[in-house]
Amino acid sequence: MSVLTSEWLKIRSVRSTHLILGLGLGTVLLGFALAVMAAGMYDAAPPEKQPGARVANLEEVLVIVPQLCLGILGTLAITSEYATGLIRTSATIVPRRWPILAAKAAIVGALGLAVGLLTTFGTYVVTRGVLGDRFSGAYAGAFTDRLPLLIALGLTVPTFALLGLGLGALLRSSAGAIAIIVGLVYVIPMVIGNIPEPWSERLGSVMIGALPRQLIGGSNASSVYGSLLPPALAAACLVAYAAVPLLAATWLIRRKDI
Amino acid sequence: MVRRAGDPPPGILYGVIELHHLTKSYGSTLAVDDLSFKVEPGHVTGFLGPNGAGKSTTLRLILGLDAPTSGQALVNGRRYTSLRRPMREVGALLDAGAVHGGRSAYDHLLCLARSNDIGPRRVSEVLDQAGLAGVARKRVGGFSLGMRQRLGIAAALLGDPGVLMFDEPVNGLDPDGVRWIRELMRSLAAQGRAILLSSHLMSEMALTADRIVIVGCGRLVAEATVTELTTRYPSLEDAYLALTSGSVQYGGAR
Amino acid sequence: MKAVVSSEWLKLRSVTSTYHALATAALPIVLGIVWTVYVTGLADERGSVRAAAPEQGFLPLLQTSLAVLGVLAITSEYATGTIRTSLVAVPKRGALLLAKSGVVGLTTFLAAHVILFVTYATSRLIAGDHHLGFNEASFADEVPMLLASGLSATALALVGLGLGALIRSTAGAIVSVVALLFVLPGIAIYLPPPWNTRVATLLLPNLVPQIAEERLSSRLGDGFLPPWAALTLLLAYPLVTLAIGYYALKRRDA
Repeated sequence: MSVLTSEWLKIRSVRSTHLILGLGLGTVLLGFALAVMAAGMYDAAPPEKQPGARVANLEEVLVIVPQLCLGILGTLAITSEYATGLIRTSATIVPRRWPILAAKAAIVGALGLAVGLLTTFGTYVVTRGVLGDRFSGAYAGAFTDRLPLLIALGLTVPTFALLGLGLGALLRSSAGAIAIIVGLVYVIPMVIGNIPEPWSERLGSVMIGALPRQLIGGSNASSVYGSLLPPALAAACLVAYAAVPLLAATWLIRRKDI
Repeated sequence: MVRRAGDPPPGILYGVIELHHLTKSYGSTLAVDDLSFKVEPGHVTGFLGPNGAGKSTTLRLILGLDAPTSGQALVNGRRYTSLRRPMREVGALLDAGAVHGGRSAYDHLLCLARSNDIGPRRVSEVLDQAGLAGVARKRVGGFSLGMRQRLGIAAALLGDPGVLMFDEPVNGLDPDGVRWIRELMRSLAAQGRAILLSSHLMSEMALTADRIVIVGCGRLVAEATVTELTTRYPSLEDAYLALTSGSVQYGGAR
Repeated sequence: MKAVVSSEWLKLRSVTSTYHALATAALPIVLGIVWTVYVTGLADERGSVRAAAPEQGFLPLLQTSLAVLGVLAITSEYATGTIRTSLVAVPKRGALLLAKSGVVGLTTFLAAHVILFVTYATSRLIAGDHHLGFNEASFADEVPMLLASGLSATALALVGLGLGALIRSTAGAIVSVVALLFVLPGIAIYLPPPWNTRVATLLLPNLVPQIAEERLSSRLGDGFLPPWAALTLLLAYPLVTLAIGYYALKRRDA
């Protein structure tokens, strides 16, 4: 418990945490701006074109921003200790070492969950308020219909925080861990879109971005992602992204010299 | 090296640091307040003051790392940032930890040497001089604090400069190393160089320095020779404590 | 200046992170071979396939890796404190940043083009006369795209260097480059038309197809810039970021 409070103090006393969380929550503002712009375009369009107008699911498009932010928060939570040598002090105070990682995981995970749900729900509410029943009522349906997807999207954010923490602890380098996260979020999905079937569908189904819709039993049609996983497997996949690097790091941090 | 008429003959090194009303403020905090003094050639000048008195800031201002709010610091009559090959005129050890852990000691020094047109032979010389020849190809990341200090001192010596500044050079050094530094400082000064040595170790300072500059709260508190201070007070330490007690408590009182 | 460039060159090649970044940047060669073997096999079964060219499909990997190299060239100095040692050795900050830009620019320019042309050559050799979609144009037709792709990776590395000088944090600078390379284009797509194409046409990764006179994507259609304007804008990105980075480096205390 004392480890948890000390780690909480460590994370909340650095400026980068506030900056990252601010940027992550700023997604809602970005969503608001995009929604206002879309509403303006819709109203300016000639009436006969309005029924065909489409708008993207903004909370789904923009979730990459909090994902990236929290991934970096998780990374820095551990790599900054390696960069400054603080990790040696931490390991002296908590010689079993794994509680350090566990406490950090609990904190960045909780922050991730909070930011994830706040941004997805916030973006949805703001967009719904702005768009009303424009775009053939894309944002006018019952809130409960959209609820499962919003929660599933929000859950990917703590996954990124824990993934970042795990990668940071494994690589001990901010640049390396962040580069891998960027690779997972952006580079690999871009490449997958170009792979011929059936591999495009197979690999596309296990990308983090593909998991929210599979979690709620939906489909990723019209995106680069696949839809092969049933909800249970999608959930397992999401957990694995967070847990596997973290478990590997826990094993490593106990064995390796600091 | 800058040589003028009336300077010592060639073969004798010469250098001087002059501070003219040097002032640096960070927001409303005055870190260095109207500081003027001169570091003369041929002497080790001890630079003393309580923690936070502005010693490190003064060194950073001399080296052009921070820009003074007003006043100026001159090295051999010129601002540091206007020197073409500064390492040949000034050598400085500020923070021994400021090295890329992934580089070898040799590569670290060669990077610095190249930037000032200093050849690789000189790199091997200073590594020898600092007692690091055996670990020259090892990554600096694995060095102890004492070895990093030696590396920092080797870097300061690279350009064979007439002015040398050391901030806490004996930190982490073993007794051998402490004696090495002491003798190095004295021999460098004997060659005519100007040495500015900042340290909190009074016993070391009494053995190494000829002249003492004491600052408190960014202002000059005293400027005297070690002999003057030790005749007026029982020891250098007593002198220091008596002179800085005011500035520690009341902020800049003389 | 020559001395500073030679020092920066040694700095870049004496740390392992440079080789990690270059190795990751070279992955498209290996991935391109695997890719082409795979789609060639598919073509044997189906007669013909429409596959993306590996040097274009894997370009983001090359761009990201070299951008990280550019970022680390300066932020690793801030992370370790070496920046102060560097600025004591080279107090003219413009010269330091210019030398870094030259070394990073040349290294990434050569690396990017070698990697792209090797990826191109090996994939076309393996493809032979199979109908893969991407191997039907002549080499002369592909050259503008290859050169523009290589130039974009160089530009991103220099943008990374400029942002690194401005932000002084590895994580912050990498994220900013990623925002430029992926996040902004990703969000621009979802702007209501015609704003999606208007904004996308100005974003760095989209300049590559415009220089080669190709469309941005099936969704965005053609960009608005003629090749010369796209090329000018591609060069303006690093110039502007480096100018801002220089201003920050010059004005701030190190």
